[in-house]
Amino acid sequence: MIKLVGAALVLFAGTMLGFLQAARFAERPKQIRHLLHALQRLETEIGYGQTPLPEALARMAGVLPETLAVLFRRIADELRSSSGETVKNAWERILSEGWPTTAMKAGEKEAMLRLGSSLGGSGRDDQLKHVRLAVLQLQAEETSAREDQMKYERLSRSLGVLGAALVVILMM
Amino acid sequence: MLPAWLAIFPPSLRTPLNKLPVSVIESLEEVRIREARPLEISYGGRFAFLTPDGSLTDEHEAGFRPNREDCRAFLEKLTDHSLYAVEEELRRGYVTVAGGHRVGLAGRTVLDGGHVRHLRDVAAFNVRIARARIGSAASVLPELLDPIARTIRHTLLVSPPQQGKTTLLRDLARAISAGEWNHPSARGWRGRKVGIVDERSEIAACERGVPTFDLGPRTDVLDACPKAEGMMMLVRSMSPEVVAVDEIGRPEDAEALREALHAGVRVLATAHASDLADVFERPVLSSLAREGMFGAYVLLSRSGSEVRHRVIGSREAEEEGLRRRRGSWNGVPRDAPRSELRSTPGDRDPGADRPEGTPGLAIKARALPLIRSPASREGGEAP
Repeated sequence: MIKLVGAALVLFAGTMLGFLQAARFAERPKQIRHLLHALQRLETEIGYGQTPLPEALARMAGVLPETLAVLFRRIADELRSSSGETVKNAWERILSEGWPTTAMKAGEKEAMLRLGSSLGGSGRDDQLKHVRLAVLQLQAEETSAREDQMKYERLSRSLGVLGAALVVILMM
Repeated sequence: MLPAWLAIFPPSLRTPLNKLPVSVIESLEEVRIREARPLEISYGGRFAFLTPDGSLTDEHEAGFRPNREDCRAFLEKLTDHSLYAVEEELRRGYVTVAGGHRVGLAGRTVLDGGHVRHLRDVAAFNVRIARARIGSAASVLPELLDPIARTIRHTLLVSPPQQGKTTLLRDLARAISAGEWNHPSARGWRGRKVGIVDERSEIAACERGVPTFDLGPRTDVLDACPKAEGMMMLVRSMSPEVVAVDEIGRPEDAEALREALHAGVRVLATAHASDLADVFERPVLSSLAREGMFGAYVLLSRSGSEVRHRVIGSREAEEEGLRRRRGSWNGVPRDAPRSELRSTPGDRDPGADRPEGTPGLAIKARALPLIRSPASREGGEAP
């Protein structure tokens, strides 16, 4: 009886693990897409509105889902505070801290960090170039993320169930 | 209670400034930051260097030297981390921060077709602390009145830099808008609609379009707008009765001033010039002055923290200005007809409506700002 309950638990856990992994694969291109939209927003804020960066970041956070929005809101708050931290440092620190909570990987992070190191530090045309460069990099990452999703989403789901089944069989 | 402007400095610069005695903080005029050179402050008409522990000295070797990091963080803070939003200001060499404090910048310019495109490697900053001196207009305003039109005459405030022009302009605008004419015959007059073109955001220190200085109840501010264009915009759209502008001197300003004059608006303007002779020497100002544009000139001079003023009517001004420099005007024949604009109400003899008790037109030598070193290491006596 206990054995049966244990087997059921293992099966359940394995399945959940697989689903979780699959959800990460599905979430990554979605989050990159959101980020792309947000960067487009940033582009208009810089190019057309000439909005100061803290305000622009706060507005950018407005078009993002909560998991990502919180990062940019934190950067905006940091820049508005009197700590005197530079954009580069605040951006790097907060994004690095918060990155594990997102589904995104190192490639996207690198593109964003590179953007942060030049944000706010030059004229409008130059800023727009940097934002567009980041957009291009993110688009490349998005394509590869979609490929990964196609390949691994169902695979990891089945792998979870089957792996759990294997453990159960071995246990029996 | 620390003044709000301290927040614009990054922590490394704020620490020594924070330790300044209150008397110095209260009379502080400028903070001058130069990369790798000692930090200088000027207060109450004198200057001193600041040591790392916040005491004042006149030995520059002992001064605190901000490094490249400090300057970069300061520039970021000044521009609200957005150089792209202040490109126009960088081109002109200054930014204005919250509170109306103007920060002048110097560095390496980048040229484009012979014109300054922007400023990079900014290595020197001059923070000018803006203060509202409510009531400073009370002694000047009665001498500027035009009793028939129940408003002010066209007025030009003249002084060298750092003598309090903008501060006086700000308070004049407030007093006119609030109707504080401070003159017995003006007791029944009410406030006038005032329009301010605040090209450098210094007069009103607007935040999101709302002035942070008290400019009176009937004042409209056109923030960060070029003067010439702004004056016309105000006249067309906001029906001001008095238009106030800071630091005129470009040809298009003169054009706009003439337009405003003919639109029936009284003008309150400031200009950099050390005395009236200078006014009549500067091309744009002199053409305006000789046309009889201004009904009154206010000359400011300052010693320590006390600002003195002298009001001169247009005719005397013209005589005085011409008398002193007549010899040097080679291009203008002595008998050349001066442009006649005698019918303007601003050009009446001001002696008639000067209230009793105000000083006459005694010629006073121009006082240069007094520069002293602090009397002691502990920040000198209170100015």
